[in-house]
Amino acid sequence: MAGVGNRVLAGTDRALDLLRELPRLSLSNIRSNPKAFKRNKRGRGQHGGKKHGAGNKGSGQRQNFMRLGYETGNNPFYLRVPKEPYYKGHHIRREYPPISLMQLQTLIDTGRLDTSKPIDLTALCNTKLFQLSPFENQYGFQLTDEGLDNFKGRINIEVQYAPEQVIAAIEKNGGVITTAFYDAPSLIAMRDPMKFFASGTPIPKRQMPPENAVEYYTDPKNRGYLADPDLVALERFKLAQKYGYELPDLKKDPELLPMMLERKDPRQIFFGLNPGWLVNLKDKKIFEPEDEQLLEYYRS
Amino acid sequence: MATKIINKTVTEFSLRITRCFFVPSKAIQTNAALFQERSETSITNVAEQLLPTIRPPLPIIYSRKLAFPPKFKAVRQAWVSNMDTVEEEKLGLIDLHPEVFAERPRVDIIHENVRWQQLYRHVSYANTKVKYEVRGGGRKPRPQKGSGRSRHGSIRSPIWRGGGIVHGPRSPTPYFYMLSFNARLNGLRSTLSAKLAQDDLHIVDSLDIPTDDPSYLEKLVEERGWGPAVLFVDDNDIMPLNITAASDVHGHYNLMPVYGLNVHSMLKHHTLVLTLAAVERIEERLLFHLNRNDAAEAGRKYKLDSL
Repeated sequence: MAGVGNRVLAGTDRALDLLRELPRLSLSNIRSNPKAFKRNKRGRGQHGGKKHGAGNKGSGQRQNFMRLGYETGNNPFYLRVPKEPYYKGHHIRREYPPISLMQLQTLIDTGRLDTSKPIDLTALCNTKLFQLSPFENQYGFQLTDEGLDNFKGRINIEVQYAPEQVIAAIEKNGGVITTAFYDAPSLIAMRDPMKFFASGTPIPKRQMPPENAVEYYTDPKNRGYLADPDLVALERFKLAQKYGYELPDLKKDPELLPMMLERKDPRQIFFGLNPGWLVNLKDKKIFEPEDEQLLEYYRS
Repeated sequence: MATKIINKTVTEFSLRITRCFFVPSKAIQTNAALFQERSETSITNVAEQLLPTIRPPLPIIYSRKLAFPPKFKAVRQAWVSNMDTVEEEKLGLIDLHPEVFAERPRVDIIHENVRWQQLYRHVSYANTKVKYEVRGGGRKPRPQKGSGRSRHGSIRSPIWRGGGIVHGPRSPTPYFYMLSFNARLNGLRSTLSAKLAQDDLHIVDSLDIPTDDPSYLEKLVEERGWGPAVLFVDDNDIMPLNITAASDVHGHYNLMPVYGLNVHSMLKHHTLVLTLAAVERIEERLLFHLNRNDAAEAGRKYKLDSL
């Protein structure tokens, strides 16, 4: 077979070519890489024998140690040195994995995101390119301003945090951006809807944001989902003036308008599905609660 | 007379040509012309009770669409043969995807796969008794002090002869572990590539043979120079009756559906024979897994602590 014409044999081709000269690959002539498997070193006394690293007499050899941190009586380090507040409350702090506008544009260009439908956390997780772990205090995605200048997509997007310039970039292109809060159970349902529907639990109602997040999500400047829509419209206008672009009139495109205006209720998790409903994927049925108390609970 | 000479030349020629990775189109036409002549006048070498094979003009199969067109590697090509005559007749030439059939043959990954296949279902039933399991040894053999001999608490302590074994085998010990998804995927790719590179991979149109006589298979394998052990792979797990009956007698001719394809079997058998349907299925499955963007999903089935 060797080299037809002046084809350069390199890498894989060379390896395959070499195989042609060698005996047939079989169960008796294969082996692993050196050091792939560690030998079990249980030699008696050979490696760490005699005193087995415990020294002579004393609490060490007798395996009767003092408690960790004890300094034989004097004030120990862990009591002597005061705590600094650097990590106080770190386990409660919310994290928002970033998605840059450049990534968003690439997703739109490659067809991984459907711009004819509103984009929310579920749509982003469905691309399987972004991982969200609510168990590690991740509460959603934030948009970053990388690729802001080249962003051209016209989208209705809902994220959990977006800075001012990102909001401006999206609205400049005739899009709509909202920031919304989702609690941990809602996030678990949202990031893998099929798995959630298969579990057979009714759709939960989304909880209100915690105290330190209420201010953010009620502020029209952040396009918060709890803010007054009229104030949001005013802020859109003000932002256009601040950054110096013409605010596109959404009404000019009547086909896209309903999609652009589509927003979720503060208690809603999925578009088109209300809290309390039970989705049966196998039989393709949706069940609603009839009980008064349940209805009142889910409506509140 | 003239045709007989051509017959012989063609048979020898066809057996000697190995997988040509780049076959100039001229060669195909020449071969086709030769085969065309042959098919019109031939009588197969098998017993005269078999009907002579009538075929449409060759090549029958000459193109194949590759999913995920290869960007960086050259496409490989392989002959498609028949199974209905003992002598090999080439029905055409097809493209094989290099990501499946021309992957770097990683012998260490192949070894990993073979080791895993052998070990994951192995259970060791070897057992030794620990000191409390050995019969006896409840009583203190002699008082602590006074005898002048060493002190002991039990006659079955590990330092005693006939005493318990401390770190011995404990039955049953499973050796189950899961090799990572990509290791298994690349194992299949490497083995298929190695088989193709070493001319131990043959593609046939289907596994239909004219008779269920076991000797037919023997003669066929002998004639074509396929190794002593042959693994036939088809897409469907219900194989044609004739080949099932013929191969049943021989332990070294084995039939396998695509979902059973594994590195150990491919190495154990000298020759691997795939049907066209099997090639399609293998490529479709392997390329799907190579090009999926939710690779984490693939390995989740055997992950122990999944969130």
